[in-house]
Amino acid sequence: MKKLTLRLVGYELRNAAGNWFSVFFGVAFPILMSLLISKAFAGDMPVEAVPAFETGVFISMSLIVPMATLLVGYAANYSQELEKEIPLWLRLFGCSEGALLGAKMIANLIFMTAALAVYTIADMLILDIETPAAGSALLLAASIYLLAVILFMLAHGAAALFGKFGPTYAVTMTLYFGLMIICGLMGVPVNRLPGGVQALAGVLPMTYIGNDFAGFWQGGAYDPGPLILSFAVLGAVSFAVLLLGIWKRRRKGFA
Amino acid sequence: MLAIDRLRVQYGKQTALLVEQPIEIGAGDRVGVIGSNGAGKTTLLKAVLGLVPYQGRIRTRLCPQDIAVHMQQNNYVNTMPVKHIISAVLNTDVRTDETLRGLVDFFDFGGCMGKKFSALSGGQKQRLTIILVLYQDAPLTFFDEVTSGLDFETRQKLMEKIREWYRGKESALVVVSHYYDELERLADRLLILDKGRVAAFGRTEELFRRYCGRAVVTIPANDKNRALTAHLKTISAPAHLIAFPCADEAEEARLTALLTGKNIDYRRSGTDIEILYSNVLSGGEPL
Repeated sequence: MKKLTLRLVGYELRNAAGNWFSVFFGVAFPILMSLLISKAFAGDMPVEAVPAFETGVFISMSLIVPMATLLVGYAANYSQELEKEIPLWLRLFGCSEGALLGAKMIANLIFMTAALAVYTIADMLILDIETPAAGSALLLAASIYLLAVILFMLAHGAAALFGKFGPTYAVTMTLYFGLMIICGLMGVPVNRLPGGVQALAGVLPMTYIGNDFAGFWQGGAYDPGPLILSFAVLGAVSFAVLLLGIWKRRRKGFA
Repeated sequence: MLAIDRLRVQYGKQTALLVEQPIEIGAGDRVGVIGSNGAGKTTLLKAVLGLVPYQGRIRTRLCPQDIAVHMQQNNYVNTMPVKHIISAVLNTDVRTDETLRGLVDFFDFGGCMGKKFSALSGGQKQRLTIILVLYQDAPLTFFDEVTSGLDFETRQKLMEKIREWYRGKESALVVVSHYYDELERLADRLLILDKGRVAAFGRTEELFRRYCGRAVVTIPANDKNRALTAHLKTISAPAHLIAFPCADEAEEARLTALLTGKNIDYRRSGTDIEILYSNVLSGGEPL
């Protein structure tokens, strides 16, 4: 069986970049959203409050990048491949499922990095973003990458479970918008949502990143306990979905 | 190289394939697999490749990477030009790999390298997969209905290229096809499947002798010809033909002289797979 090679990663990188779901939802959409939200609300607030507000918008909208490129874009792409039995075909050419999975994850993280860079540059040009403390910027970057790996597992598992584009896309899009609403990224603060939904938001890391990180962006203390716990919960659920998806494919003789 | 014995593949309660007598494929063999839809041809390939669960024994000393396969349906991603797909699948540089360049030129595929898979024609899509398969230069290669859905001319050209490529090579080929003419030119052994069972397996010439005789003479099946040849012995043939078996040279000479005398167009063959197939399935009793 062929191992994970640079060529395989390059192939998957081209595959991710050629996927318009990732390009639109992961690159164009977060820039548009941050621009729309800041322009819609910044005009009604005192001038001195705008940088802090727009920094908050930048941080919360940055979560769209991993959610769109991994959860929506990757799941859409991989489910289409499964529908056409491309992974099976590659396996007949000696590409193991493990090598493919590794190449896909590395390539999609590289693509997300590029999308994140474009988003950051665009937002720096169009918004008034405060200069972060090094620790805060590092924590945001680390959180986004950890979230990306978790969402990759969730997307891969969901696509493997359904095996078809239609249901996979329906479920991941519902999750994408559902998570954005629950975590307060669509304009409605978490504390104004119903009690049950607030409890659900409490176990999602996007809630803490989107709502808390702006508070210590330029320095200050932060208790990472709830964030770590939420990562553990979402990570465990996503890992379980991934295992379930792999188990289903093995049961069908595809892996 | 590959031995199949007492193989059974079940889809639910239905037996999709049953191989009761041993089938052995050795180096250099060219095995044609024929049978109608649902006969078990693709199931046999999938069992050998380990893609379906089975009972029985499939023995081989080959590693999985020593077996190349061209499946009936081949799909690739549409997010990039095919040259990048080729490079990743074969783990090679398409610009500098001489073997690959040779194959690309041999199959006139150079102009397609920059195109996406969805932009290729049916014949070009098949050529892409054939290039990927042949590059592996595997000791055992399976082709499952390579020319299915292609027009006559493209089909002929493609099979001629494959035949030319394998001429003199020791690789074993297993070719599944619905087209008898393709197998006549490519296969030296035949595996005939019917309703999931092996109807016949052996060297094409031997099977032909056993089921059809030394040679077969066929004429168009019209009322005039039927009347003129009503007294002659016939064997099973497709509906548009009447087939006469010839046990030896003398019988063949008498028959052809008779047909010539009555001005009936005829065709003589000692390897006609369509007639052979028809006679194997018509009851399976050798002559």
